Amino acid sequence: MSRVIRAEEGEIFNIELAEDLLKANEVLAMKNKNLLSKHGIKAIDVMGSVGTGKTSLIGQIVYKLKENYRIAVIAGDLTTTIDADIIAKYGAEVIQINTGKECHLDANLIKKALKMIDLNKIDLLFIENVGNLICPAEFPLGSDKRIVIISLTEGPYMVVKHPFIFMKTDVVVINKMDLVDVLGVDVNKLEGDVNRVNPKANVVKVSCRNGMGIMNVIKALEL
Amino acid sequence: MHEFSITSQIVRSVLKEAEKRGAKGVLEVHLIIGKLTLLGIEQVKFSYKVLIEDTILEGSKLLIKRRSGKVKCERCGYEGPIKFKVDPISHISFPTLTCLKCNSTVTILEGRECTIKSIKLVM
Repeated sequence: MSRVIRAEEGEIFNIELAEDLLKANEVLAMKNKNLLSKHGIKAIDVMGSVGTGKTSLIGQIVYKLKENYRIAVIAGDLTTTIDADIIAKYGAEVIQINTGKECHLDANLIKKALKMIDLNKIDLLFIENVGNLICPAEFPLGSDKRIVIISLTEGPYMVVKHPFIFMKTDVVVINKMDLVDVLGVDVNKLEGDVNRVNPKANVVKVSCRNGMGIMNVIKALEL
Repeated sequence: MHEFSITSQIVRSVLKEAEKRGAKGVLEVHLIIGKLTLLGIEQVKFSYKVLIEDTILEGSKLLIKRRSGKVKCERCGYEGPIKFKVDPISHISFPTLTCLKCNSTVTILEGRECTIKSIKLVM
């Protein structure tokens, strides 16, 4: 006869759980990374505030690289397919994720999006994150490289006010350089801010509007 | 950020465990929250109070232990606390991901967790 221990009424039980709630996204991100690696696909996570030029940057890179790579883009936004429509015109396959009220993309959403792409038919993937410099820092997606794009129109304090996202990035793009004289933002100071927070990050100055600096971004991404 | 949604997950997890064991109430929930997560502890505590109302967790104590950041350098093998830098302009001390010994980039070993370590149930 098996012996069973049952709790008595009113007895107090101490249960060890060791359940890490933040680990789930990291585990999924790793799975995404392995899946992409298996298919020989390089993935780039593009982050930046609203209006800094994420879509324009991806569009410009797609336009310059579409003869060398088979490119897909996952575009994330709360609503609309505006970004997806713009990028599709540059020549890439695009999947739009509408996050609804969620302020960042997570590894689970990327996992679902990857199911909609024939991974045998692409070798380069861009993920355009939601326009937000705070939340995406905490949620790795499984990409090989991360870009953060800031714009001169945001003023001189974007890096010092949001250090965490810059700590975890490979390339920092400073966009709208065509407006540098009009805006009077000290670009050297901005570069210095990035170097202090993350000496390893590559800083590239661009104007997505006129195409200046895009080849340097491509070089910095090792594409 | 996202304290409310993480705390929701915590409450759901504990409820699931408590119901699985047929518990009548929950006395304590012990959390470990790493210092490298961007979670605001006060918001977690506040969200917890709100979320446990009308559940068997009502009246339970939420006890939070912090865990410091620990990193490993692939280049020189250093394992230990994270390096903090004081920004000369904003005077904010913030963590960096560079090695204390050789300034190479490090990987994070500890400090990014939000773990339910243990719970105390009344059967």
